[in-house]
Amino acid sequence: MFGWHGKILRIDLSEGKSRVEETPSSLMRDYIGGRGMGARLLFDEIDPSIDALSPENKLIFATGPLTGSGAPAASRFIVSAKSPLSSCVSSPCCGGSFGANLKYSGYDLLIFEGKSPHPVYVTLLNERVEILDASLLWGMASSETEEAIRKEMRSKYLLDTWALNAMGIADIGPAGENLVRFACIMSDGGRAAGRSGLGAVMGSKNLKAVAALGTRHVNIANVQGFRKAVMEFYREARENGELYKRRRYGTWSLPGRANASKSQASFNFREGYSEAFAKYEDPEVIRDLIRVRDEACFACPFACGKRSRIKDPDFPLTAKGPEHETMALLGTNCGMGEMEDICRANYLCNDLGMDTITAGAVVSCAMELFMEGALPEKDLGYPLEFGSRNMLRLLKEIALREGLGELIAEGGIALATRYGRPDLYMGVKGMGIPAWHPQAFDALGLQYATCNTGGSHTKATMPFYEGRKDPAHFVEFTKKDQDYIAAADSGVLCWIIYHGPLWGEKLAEWLTYVTGMDFAPEAIGRLGERIWNLERLFNMRSGVMGKDDTLPPRILTEPRVKNRVVHLDKLLVQYYELRGWDSSGVPTRERLQMLGLEKEGEGVI
Amino acid sequence: MRIRIDHKVCTGCKQCEIACSLAHTETAAPWRSRIRVFLGEEFCLPVIAGPYTEASCNSKGTLVVEGVEVDACVVCRASCPMKSVYKEPDTAIPLKCDFCGDPPDPQCVKWCAPNALTLVEG
Repeated sequence: MFGWHGKILRIDLSEGKSRVEETPSSLMRDYIGGRGMGARLLFDEIDPSIDALSPENKLIFATGPLTGSGAPAASRFIVSAKSPLSSCVSSPCCGGSFGANLKYSGYDLLIFEGKSPHPVYVTLLNERVEILDASLLWGMASSETEEAIRKEMRSKYLLDTWALNAMGIADIGPAGENLVRFACIMSDGGRAAGRSGLGAVMGSKNLKAVAALGTRHVNIANVQGFRKAVMEFYREARENGELYKRRRYGTWSLPGRANASKSQASFNFREGYSEAFAKYEDPEVIRDLIRVRDEACFACPFACGKRSRIKDPDFPLTAKGPEHETMALLGTNCGMGEMEDICRANYLCNDLGMDTITAGAVVSCAMELFMEGALPEKDLGYPLEFGSRNMLRLLKEIALREGLGELIAEGGIALATRYGRPDLYMGVKGMGIPAWHPQAFDALGLQYATCNTGGSHTKATMPFYEGRKDPAHFVEFTKKDQDYIAAADSGVLCWIIYHGPLWGEKLAEWLTYVTGMDFAPEAIGRLGERIWNLERLFNMRSGVMGKDDTLPPRILTEPRVKNRVVHLDKLLVQYYELRGWDSSGVPTRERLQMLGLEKEGEGVI
Repeated sequence: MRIRIDHKVCTGCKQCEIACSLAHTETAAPWRSRIRVFLGEEFCLPVIAGPYTEASCNSKGTLVVEGVEVDACVVCRASCPMKSVYKEPDTAIPLKCDFCGDPPDPQCVKWCAPNALTLVEG
């Protein structure tokens, strides 16, 4: 078989047993892999109304046909499960080498079911699968966990330095163990399947880590054509400067741009600009300050990842990031103006295994509650004004569920409601909204509001790219981008490297070379729309409805940035119409029929 | 002709491993590649497979690269019984770089985006 292996590894943690199944060919054709397959399997196999932290939830690590094929920037993996934060179906995407290793082990998908009676971790050495006791790993930080597993694997399987170096590990930190609702799954010591709290799902299953080392191969249908096409793609990327730009700055070119244009989430979205951060507007400054080396995900020539280090004896080692979203949410949005402080918060979140975006959103919410006098100092034990370094203390308390952390670990809504100001949590469907201030671009508000997984920026694109600036086309592009990204996430193509029309075009091109099946860009748009609608139907069964397609009141009513508010009502009407949904955001029978989902819609439409 | 390695700009993307395996095995298979990249914290080291050696040596030690201690086994190019790399995973047949034929046309060099690998005279 080309591209796919056609095999799913299913591990029942309750029974401690694993089995291999064949991937149905219809699943490959209609859902490609990654996010598409994950959504389909979750829809088919779990009741969407279950508690996300119950053993009934399933945790799916999904690769796509391009993972491990060498298609540039396309070796990511997706983790799918019902989210404990938003109650939506969720599919965070993660880079690094775990996806490729899972694929080279001979599987397309790895599904975890049930709940282990005690902490375990799972190792995959090609077809050899073992479920091992993790009681000694429990409580360890993410980076420590990886080190300990590598050490264990060295003595247990006599692996040499090279093999240990190539191994990919996905794990959770203390936040995931303690079921913090925005805990993430970490990989390669700093990459994260970040949004929507799947670390807590992993923790609820008593699963500390999965380590994979695969030495198999991925078959490619048209090898010569594929090699030529990759070389051509390199040539283009060299000529248009993308290859250089991404490697040099990665996402570090963005926070300065956002801050300078008054669009950077700052002070809990009260502002779009932070004066203290202005010194980092030139990405060269950040590069000089903290960069150690440029670090690529597996098979990505763009290498936008950055390994960094700060001069602090408490953080002696190099670590990944921080990326733009982290700089904004843990930085400007919490009023932090020094890169060292942002790095500390980032490293801490990585080691604790917490999503830096939602963590930033809940901390900034706590800060504003404190400033407003709604959150008394005695509840915290220390002052927490904007820019306070006590933030690090709070982050630790959240992950360990100590003190007020116990409440905050349940999410920003719980915190803001408890102190009587639910309007101060800047989230959509419970998930903190990311770096770009939606009041800077109307279309961004629409994207955050309608995203199937909650307030996420990776399921559509920023409206400042070419062709997306004209307000008359905002809605059209939002829908189109959402559909194409749903397909690209199924490949699994990197959302950030490919942009705009490239999602569809390049996905179609790589898929055709690698799998030997015909994929046309138009068909891919339709396929993405099917995934999007299926996710919507899952969410509706879970109780997340059209009324939840909204934004925090601050964004809708208080003109904070550029003296504007987001006119979401108007945009939503157009958006629902374009989607073929009724005025309350429910997909119509006609549209579902067109997408081949009429059976799936039964009972909710 | 030789392949010059500039570890300072290597990003550890491993596209060279993919390029090598596509050229030699027509599959994407890093473990069947004749070049491997060791991922370090401060820098990455691409190492190209050299001659086969029948026995492991006893001159193990460490090298210091850019102030960082590196296991000498990692820098050594030999396809050796002690190492998991530079051999076919299923048959253990040793592998060695052949510059992708004559005249030399190493695919790893072509696929190296940051130009950590370059083909030079001499």
